[in-house]
Amino acid sequence: MSDGLIIDQLKKNQILDLLKEGKRVDGRQFDEPRKLTIDIGVIPKAEGSARARLGDTEVVAGVKVQPERPFPDTGDKGMLICTAEILPIAHPSAETGPPQPPVVELARVTDRGIRESGMLDMKQLVLEKDKSVIGVFCDNAVTDHDGNLFDACSYASTAAINACKIPKYEMQDEKPVKIEGEFTEPPITTLPVSVTMAKIGGFIVVDPTIEEWGIMDARITITSNSDGNVVALQKGGSDGFTQEELIKCAELSVKVGSKIREIIKQSK
Amino acid sequence: MSGERKRHVIPGEVITSGSYRAEQNTIQVGDNIVSTIVGLSDVHDGSVRVIPLTGGYLPKDDDLVIGKISSHSSLSWTADINSCYVGMLPASDVFGRDYSSSSDDMTAKLAKGDLIAARIVNADMTRDPLITISGRELGKIDSGELVKISPNKVPRLIGKRGSMIQMIESSTNSQVTIGQNGLLVVSSEDPNGLLKAIQAIELIEEQAHVANLTDQVNEMLESKSE
Repeated sequence: MSDGLIIDQLKKNQILDLLKEGKRVDGRQFDEPRKLTIDIGVIPKAEGSARARLGDTEVVAGVKVQPERPFPDTGDKGMLICTAEILPIAHPSAETGPPQPPVVELARVTDRGIRESGMLDMKQLVLEKDKSVIGVFCDNAVTDHDGNLFDACSYASTAAINACKIPKYEMQDEKPVKIEGEFTEPPITTLPVSVTMAKIGGFIVVDPTIEEWGIMDARITITSNSDGNVVALQKGGSDGFTQEELIKCAELSVKVGSKIREIIKQSK
Repeated sequence: MSGERKRHVIPGEVITSGSYRAEQNTIQVGDNIVSTIVGLSDVHDGSVRVIPLTGGYLPKDDDLVIGKISSHSSLSWTADINSCYVGMLPASDVFGRDYSSSSDDMTAKLAKGDLIAARIVNADMTRDPLITISGRELGKIDSGELVKISPNKVPRLIGKRGSMIQMIESSTNSQVTIGQNGLLVVSSEDPNGLLKAIQAIELIEEQAHVANLTDQVNEMLESKSE
């Protein structure tokens, strides 16, 4: 994935020189994400789906909903699993086969943002306690890779789950039976939005492109919910963040996140 | 069949039939000469060839290429030369024959991500092509901007006897190092000249298949220089 990407020295110098002048290579402000567009219902057979375009990064998310046997320790809650994969058409460096560690991280960060925010009220997704619950499976496929897959997957998944329809099930002889043609709205409580920031030469920029991603010293992905609270966080890269930088990043993520949440809301 | 014009062909398309020699990018099927690639057919002096419009770069001996150092072992660097093959740059090429992997620090000379202008020394396709950076105008590139175009459009960018590239260089006051592999480094003292040169190169890349390209580029260069 992008972690194996080598940015040439000339580009690196150019990005660093521009940052010192307060500019970015694509002309954005430091706290300005790329243009986000979301299309809903792009996969007709899925219960919910969304295509998120963040600049030239594109992710398609699909949601399947089906009854499942619950995990033994959470028999009173529904199930939520988010996955992610990078398709070979997304980037020359992407390969088929078992997922590389960065791809595993991508799936886990996307999953954690949605899970820890409590976006879905899992208690409402129980058909019969300890026997059968509703499982929500959100699969992300990266179809174009231009950096910051974390946020693109987060937006696509949130939009897809927000717009999905839950089929109605009834317990008959201890087995869930689908009632054809009847759907309910998903039990949405909040809309989690992740914002990824890269630290390059001491500067913090929101929504790094693939080139910025290739030369960054450290990155942090902060997910906030509709109330403006931080719900999940992931730090990567070899450099660190100072306390002041962390607070600044948290504030940035809430500020930028609230604008993005509006776009996700309007997409439904 | 005299006066046959160049025409766009796709793989599998019959270009002509009869007693012709099937040359570059064509095969003979029965009596027909068939194209194997997307390109412009060229029937000339009893031979048929197709000038490619798409495709990657295949290293040829003596080609000047621009490469990006991707890694190194104790004996050589490997460079990404925008091809399915990677360029091998032996350490002895930089340090001389008395190179010793224990005393010489390879990353001090060339590190990951450095750009080099190199020449292909040996590309026999049985192993990765050998490249060198010893020679005039070769070596590490310290300034300028990297531009990538399709390797098939490099001849178009250079033009007849270098006419196209000379026109761009002189009217934008910039220097362009062209790698046959489609990587170019454009440098200029004047930021506007740099931008204009890159725009001109992008125009050529986009419009490489049309006629009168020189006039178009000239027009574009002049229109913005006022």
